[in-house]
Amino acid sequence: MSSPATPNGSQQDLADEQPQAPPVFHNFLRAFYPFHPSYSVSDSSVTLPLSEGDVILVHSIHTNGWADGTLLLTGARGWLPTNYCEAYDPEEMRNLLKALLNFWDLLRSTSVNDSEIFGNQEFMKGIIAGVRCLLERTDCLTRESAIIQRHEGLRRGRKSLLSELSSLVKTAKRLQETQRGMLHSAEDVNDIVDEMILKAFRIVTKGVRFLDVLEEDRSLRAPAAVTVMDTVVEESHVPPTPPADLMGFEEQSNASDVSSRADASQASSDLVLPCMSDVAHAANAPVNKRLSSITTMSASPTSHRLSQNINRLSGISHRVSLAGPPPLSRPQHLVSERLNKSHDAFLSHLGSFIGRLHLQSQSRPELAFAIKLTATSGGDLLAVIDVVCSNTSSSDMLPRARDSMFDRIQDLVSSAGQIIHDAASQEEDVIMQQDNGVLLLAATGCVKAAGECVAKTKWVIERVGDFECEVESGSLGIDLSVLDVPFERRPSVATSVAGSTASQATSVAGSCRTVESCSSGVQRLRTSSTDKPLPELPQVTSPVVDETPDLPPQQESPPNTRPSSLLHDESLSSTVSSVSSLRPTLPPLPKLSTSLLPGEDYSPVEKANQDTDFQSSFQSEPGTVSSAGSSATYHSRDSESSLVSQTSTRATTPDHTMGPKNKPSMSELSNGGSSTQAEEVDDVECKLLEKTYAYELMFNKEGQVTGGSIPALVERLTTHESTPDATFVSTFYLTFRLFCTPVQLAEALIDRFDYVVESPHMAAPVRLRVYNAFKGWLETHWRDETDREALDLIEPFAEHKLSSALPSAGRRLLELAQRVSSEGSLVPRNVSSMGKTNTSIAQYVPAETPHPAVSLSRSQVNALQGWKNGGTMPSVLDFEPLELARQLTVKQMTIFCAILPEELLASEWMKKGGVGAPNVKAMTAFSTDLSNLVAETILQHSEVKKRATVIKQWIKIAHQCFELHNYDGLMAIICSLNSSTISRLRKTWDMVSPKRRDMLRQLQAVVEPSQNNKVLRGRLHDHVPPCLPFLGMYLTDLTFVDIGNPATKQLQSAGCGDGAEENGAGGRTVVNFDKHTRTAKIIGELQRFQIPYRLTEVPELQEWLEAQVVGVRDGDQGNVQVSYYRKSLLLEPREAAPRTPIEGPSGGSGQRTGDLFGWMTRDRGIAPVMV
Amino acid sequence: MSRHKHHQPCRELHVVVLGAGGVGKSCLTAQFVHNEWIESYDPTIEDTYRTQLQVDGRQVVLEILDTAGTEQFVAMRDLYMKSGQGFILVFSITSSSSMSEIEMLREEITRIKDDENVPIVIVGNKADLEDQRSVPRQRAFACSQSWNAPYYETSARTRTNVNAVFIDICRQLLLRDEKYGDLDRLSDDRDYDKDGIMGLGKRKKRRTRRPDGNRCVIL
Repeated sequence: MSSPATPNGSQQDLADEQPQAPPVFHNFLRAFYPFHPSYSVSDSSVTLPLSEGDVILVHSIHTNGWADGTLLLTGARGWLPTNYCEAYDPEEMRNLLKALLNFWDLLRSTSVNDSEIFGNQEFMKGIIAGVRCLLERTDCLTRESAIIQRHEGLRRGRKSLLSELSSLVKTAKRLQETQRGMLHSAEDVNDIVDEMILKAFRIVTKGVRFLDVLEEDRSLRAPAAVTVMDTVVEESHVPPTPPADLMGFEEQSNASDVSSRADASQASSDLVLPCMSDVAHAANAPVNKRLSSITTMSASPTSHRLSQNINRLSGISHRVSLAGPPPLSRPQHLVSERLNKSHDAFLSHLGSFIGRLHLQSQSRPELAFAIKLTATSGGDLLAVIDVVCSNTSSSDMLPRARDSMFDRIQDLVSSAGQIIHDAASQEEDVIMQQDNGVLLLAATGCVKAAGECVAKTKWVIERVGDFECEVESGSLGIDLSVLDVPFERRPSVATSVAGSTASQATSVAGSCRTVESCSSGVQRLRTSSTDKPLPELPQVTSPVVDETPDLPPQQESPPNTRPSSLLHDESLSSTVSSVSSLRPTLPPLPKLSTSLLPGEDYSPVEKANQDTDFQSSFQSEPGTVSSAGSSATYHSRDSESSLVSQTSTRATTPDHTMGPKNKPSMSELSNGGSSTQAEEVDDVECKLLEKTYAYELMFNKEGQVTGGSIPALVERLTTHESTPDATFVSTFYLTFRLFCTPVQLAEALIDRFDYVVESPHMAAPVRLRVYNAFKGWLETHWRDETDREALDLIEPFAEHKLSSALPSAGRRLLELAQRVSSEGSLVPRNVSSMGKTNTSIAQYVPAETPHPAVSLSRSQVNALQGWKNGGTMPSVLDFEPLELARQLTVKQMTIFCAILPEELLASEWMKKGGVGAPNVKAMTAFSTDLSNLVAETILQHSEVKKRATVIKQWIKIAHQCFELHNYDGLMAIICSLNSSTISRLRKTWDMVSPKRRDMLRQLQAVVEPSQNNKVLRGRLHDHVPPCLPFLGMYLTDLTFVDIGNPATKQLQSAGCGDGAEENGAGGRTVVNFDKHTRTAKIIGELQRFQIPYRLTEVPELQEWLEAQVVGVRDGDQGNVQVSYYRKSLLLEPREAAPRTPIEGPSGGSGQRTGDLFGWMTRDRGIAPVMV
Repeated sequence: MSRHKHHQPCRELHVVVLGAGGVGKSCLTAQFVHNEWIESYDPTIEDTYRTQLQVDGRQVVLEILDTAGTEQFVAMRDLYMKSGQGFILVFSITSSSSMSEIEMLREEITRIKDDENVPIVIVGNKADLEDQRSVPRQRAFACSQSWNAPYYETSARTRTNVNAVFIDICRQLLLRDEKYGDLDRLSDDRDYDKDGIMGLGKRKKRRTRRPDGNRCVIL
């Protein structure tokens, strides 16, 4: 049994009614409310305590609303309730956040060789570019910028951000040195990587803080912008700064009661306020960007599905400045929004209730509580439906559905009440398993009824149009007090539960609820006011004032019957704990170990885990976070969800090695021991000022470039820190004309040459690379017909700019440019092709190997001689099959080797009759000719026996082709022998020996196209040349790569996931380099085989072959296939004997008697209609 | 001689996509088989053109053979056609030569399969380019009627009717399965049939039995 049935599952009933937008996965969340699970039976080794303003990197989100995330501030990983958080994706931070994501993926990926990544500093570029982008967008790039000059807080923030960055850069260098073996310290690479991840987190945290201060500044200076947010003005000044930043690490301790939280946030605002007192240029200050962008987002129709809390009610108004509800459009007031929301809430309550029913028995209080929650949320849903009902008078369909749903809920409540009463009377604490069936039935009935009811409501809403409404508190009208009876023995629980239920009811009711109005700690219970309710959250999180009564059920719970499969070492044993099976209302959270956080005491605790999946798949290596769950229920950034649990060692080790308790503080870590801090910051600043397009690149998990803008790709091509990746370079040269013009490439290279001057330390190597890029292009990849116009740029560049920087390079490039302009390309281009650079040819073609002797008898030579002197032409039967196959192969290979890579790009061979791909065309033409030759030579004989002999001869030739690995020739011959024209000649085939027919069958299996040429692909894979593959397969692959992959991609931005259209700012269109890499890979595979056979060419036989082919081609007037078929019919007319009409074993010989060409005349008959 | 193939849990259907080069038939195939959630499309793997789908509540495995890019290997068409049970003939509504091409292909299919009733779907692609239309619908309708094959107008670009085409061919193949016994009898008759007129009558009979009365689907 996996995790409880979740709303998603039951929502599927509605999918037909309203296709849901795919949920957007937010990579970063920010807590807008503190989350401190502080009840005594601590759950904190599972959950991640949050302070308001904390930013979390999310790894996966369980559908129950809990997210597996890493707190950037500490690097601690754990589960956190998404309803306490909102998506964090301010535009300025986007690149940095995205870079952090890549950084994380790359560094913790086990599929990548460490030395490959860390051999150069490439992997650092994203972070640096991200920081640069943040500063650039906020106009704070240089120290001299007006904002920085004016604002002390910002100046400090910027400086600490930069020093953090410099620290990371330093660590990265150290890692590189370790990789090179320069440092022989015992320092484990993983330790450094961990340190780097923490530092990268730290950078982002500082970036967040910097931006927050800036936002404050902006909002203070822009009263105009503030007035837009009418209701929230007075609150908007509270900075969303992570408390730890202001209070220091040690003070991050839990303010476990509300008042102290309030004090804390008050304090933090006090601290920041003075910094913001500067209101000089209020009028022309920039509009608060973040706020406006958030407004757009929350107006989007999909947002109700998101786990972000943008639509959350304005109740917690003092946080509203973060993501205030848009003043004009309030989607949550639309009745459809309310409907969805309350339906979701209801379903999630039901879902977790049902899930728990499946798993184990529960105690009475839990049951009562769960039923109450369910009933209350059901009441809210009904309230919404009632509003809709009252707005339409059309039919009684909806009221009926409503009533049936009401009945179901009542059933549930009353049966639950009954069970509780019974249990109470028997003094039992635990509800018996047999009762679960009843409850299950009732609950399932509720799900179904709700689904129907909501579907009908939606239908009605569609009819009458969406409207805004204020829904009153959902008064269910069902007496929930039946559930309360058994609580008499534990009065405090009863009140607590009742209290929370009551506030629950109000909270769902409307937007006007305020936290302040709630009396106890229950105000953290934000469950149903959020989009994705976490029904169990309240009890877990609410600090119940009098906790003791809550505990007994847990302590009394039956011991776990399943052996715990947790493996952990000593260091973890204190935090990871064993499992008990019963835990009242906690959702099934996978357990994971997190670091020791300051100010929290950990003790071995009895832990609840209701999910067997979690237990069984749980393996916790030292310092490993394991968060295996049933993968189907996760939205995860990782496509392979197993990655989450298996490869995340690096993520959490820092917790132990570098947790704040072991080492004094994070800030010490980053600042510690550096006497030359200031210089390094300057250094980094210098680096930052470098112009770069690194943030416009996209990578896959292996670190290969999959997309990028042209300047970014050119930057990659001319990177100064390492020799560029060979695949990247060859792909670039091969395919660049598909995404930019030669002139654009020249411009981009020259531009690169120019802008790199801003960064003196790398100007020299980069400029040399630019020269090399030009040189490579001109020397080996030049295509005169298309590239010539770029010479107008290259020549002046070589003459002036390049010559003044690198005189000899300038001269050389100029010389090259002049040579290509006179000679066209300099090197036979297929020699320099990419496939061959990767494989050593010598290995395959040992030059010493003697050519096999020509198998040609004297009489055969004489026959050829006689033909040349005007005698009769020898037939295909006059030669050895082996030698014919060899000569065919030599002929085909010559054409194949001549194929240039550019003939294969962009379906060139399909365009304009293939003028741009002469060799591909020649290749296909020869194949067709060969096929026709086979048919011709067979059909030319009127005697059955003669035909059979020719067929046998061709089978032998085909077999020899196969032995020579000439699959192109094999394909052509087999196709012809198997064509309906030949295969229908039954009398002829009867004379072919079974042995030969069997041979044919085996050969046919090789070229069988089924399952995407499975057999042939298998043979070609890792095939050692010489080999002549079937060209058609590559042509099909290239066509599909071209068609199936778009030319461009949207540059993803962090936090946006796929929802690029959600806010236009996220998507910059860049070249889909992945498509080109795939194209280049296929072409490279083809080029791998462009190695001639070591076979002796016999000119006489070649001539004869040519003459044969020409003879066939000359006879080819119109549709040869039709004329051959006609010939075939004449030779062996249709037989009268009826045979299986469909898919006869030999492909159908004739059944129809009479009219020989009936099939033709009939079809012709319809021709006039079609003209 | 009753073969109840429909009791088999999962039927494997082989469909061949044919048409002149440049009509966008490979777009149709790519659109159909490509899972949008996969970021990049790799056509070199074995399962690329195999997909499982539900047709009228039945689970089928559809294997599509689309040899796009190899139209010039004329002699190989025969081999491809042999391997198919059903055919999707694609032309572009902007090119009348591509229409002629599928007429030719149809002839070849009937010849090779030696069967007038091979399941076929006629597809007029690039329906989004209505302003460049050069194949009048009448012409396509005429083919549809005389071949007894449904006609769809599709747009791979706007993803219009793409799934419908593949579902339709599967449905035809399944229907043919069910009527296999039936057909056997019919074709026994046909063998004594000296001209094509009777065959036409039979086709009409078949047609009325089809669950989907509408044979031409335009957008």
